Amino acid sequence: MSSVPGLQEDCEELLGAFQEADTVRFERFAEMWRERRFHTIFYGRIRALERNKLTKKTLELAQQYFLPPYAFQIRVGALYLLYGLYNTQLCQPKQKIRIALKDWPEIQRFRQDLIDSQHYDAVYIFRTLRLARAFHFTAMPKLLNYRTKKKIEEKEFKEEFKDPSNRVNSLITNDVLEELMNIHDHYQKMKCVISADKSQPDKALSLIKDEFVVNLKDIALEHQEWQQNRMKLFLNAKETGEISNKKKEETLLESEGSERASALAKIKYKSYSAVVEASKSRRHRQVKLESSESGLNYGKSPNTSRKNRRPARRRGEMQMAKETITQHIGMPVITEENSDE
Amino acid sequence: QESYATGKRPDNPTDLVDEGDLLLTLNIYYPVIFQKASAKFEGHKDHKPYQTVLVLGSQKLTELRDCISCVSDLQIGGEFSSQPDQAPEHISKDLYKSAFFYFEGVFYNDKRYPECRDLSRTIIEWSETHDRGYGNLRSVKMEDYTFNDLALKIGFPYLFCHQGNCEHIVIITDTRLIHHDDCLDRNLYPLLIKKHWLCTRKCFVCKKYTARWVTNEDSLAPADPCLFCDVCFRMLHYDVEGNKLGEFLAYPYVDPGIFN
Repeated sequence: MSSVPGLQEDCEELLGAFQEADTVRFERFAEMWRERRFHTIFYGRIRALERNKLTKKTLELAQQYFLPPYAFQIRVGALYLLYGLYNTQLCQPKQKIRIALKDWPEIQRFRQDLIDSQHYDAVYIFRTLRLARAFHFTAMPKLLNYRTKKKIEEKEFKEEFKDPSNRVNSLITNDVLEELMNIHDHYQKMKCVISADKSQPDKALSLIKDEFVVNLKDIALEHQEWQQNRMKLFLNAKETGEISNKKKEETLLESEGSERASALAKIKYKSYSAVVEASKSRRHRQVKLESSESGLNYGKSPNTSRKNRRPARRRGEMQMAKETITQHIGMPVITEENSDE
Repeated sequence: QESYATGKRPDNPTDLVDEGDLLLTLNIYYPVIFQKASAKFEGHKDHKPYQTVLVLGSQKLTELRDCISCVSDLQIGGEFSSQPDQAPEHISKDLYKSAFFYFEGVFYNDKRYPECRDLSRTIIEWSETHDRGYGNLRSVKMEDYTFNDLALKIGFPYLFCHQGNCEHIVIITDTRLIHHDDCLDRNLYPLLIKKHWLCTRKCFVCKKYTARWVTNEDSLAPADPCLFCDVCFRMLHYDVEGNKLGEFLAYPYVDPGIFN
């Protein structure tokens, strides 16, 4: 099936605007949809056969944004987009949305995330689609075409839509940290039990750093912050690259070039983080930065780091916020603590 | 295309398709090669005609076999120049009932009638004579298997062979669960949703009627082979009493466009 010209651009434009609005509310999406009169995307094909084909291709394109590795907001936007396209299509009977079997667990998880973070309008939209029997449960996501393609088209999707892959965070998840904390406590208690002084463990038994769980969490947080900033730098560099300030442009281009290269290298890894998922859904509500002195609050603190375009605030303890745009951000250096025990 | 059957429900509730049944979309290609020289089909050389069929997972392979309509089934064998009125009614489909499907290393032979032979035996014997790298090929009965019993690859070409040497490529393009809006009458499956269209060849004389006879070595005909409709054929080759005029060989001709 040859691609429909302009279709991908239109969808990306709408999703991009939705992402910029920094919200997941359906009202905002509906406003944008109406502004653009997006339902007219189906006009222009008169014969039933062509209408069917066009609708199928449109739904297929939109459903790709619904699945990972796209960012949370883009996925919610894609859900709304699918809802809009499904209902405004002109075909009778309606063309369905094809979802492969392998993608369903992912979608169930996504729905559970939405419920947990109380985005009930998105959940309702999804439920409406299910009740309207809008889905085809298929084995393969793409319907095969019969003609051999002369050239295999590489579909390129915008990098901004993708979640920055975060392998550190997928390893050090909330659950892992909680587990570690529990084990650590248990271990401390065991040490106390077998020591002479029941209130604290013997000096001879101190073999590990006591605060290591907290440190681990801090380090993971730092990494996340750093990655955030790099992403922002990359995006800002893209935007400000168009300013006609020559001197700035030169330095910008340098950093942009290297940023781009490393950002592209990162995008090659298609993983996404569990910690980040929890936080993204909460970022549109008021969140408090839990400082890292109380080790037990690590479940909440990763929230705050996931703000896309707002200026860096409340990050006094992090050095990175002060760096200017022309400096290349390097990996944060983790200093070795002297062991006092 | 499929719109006439969408949403159909059966009269008899036992004919209702089960909820978890699978729906497979198959493309059956026809062994017709369009000549590039032919003006009508320029640029279609890569494009074989095919028909698209929907089958249920719970249906037997024999049901699909019965639904494949190929013009070679309707051929009438034999030369009938001396007795044009006695062209027998036996079409090839009745005479040569054997057929097989080839899926994933197994030949599924049609063994419902006593005349059916195992056409795949030749192939199996050939592959076993030397180590040709085909692994173990087996032969089983087509009527014992449903589509649910098979492990199939989507997009991979499989084979359907009948009449001894008429081979069709079969490709599965889609597998999905049955949906509320689909046709739920089991009797209508396998459901044909797309058919190829072939030009019918017309009589060389009147250019109006579909050809029913083809002649070879015909002294009275302008070309060899030459196609005639029934009326023109008799008018040219036989006198009023029905005697054969001139020398020729005549065969009944079945036009590929008969299924349009």
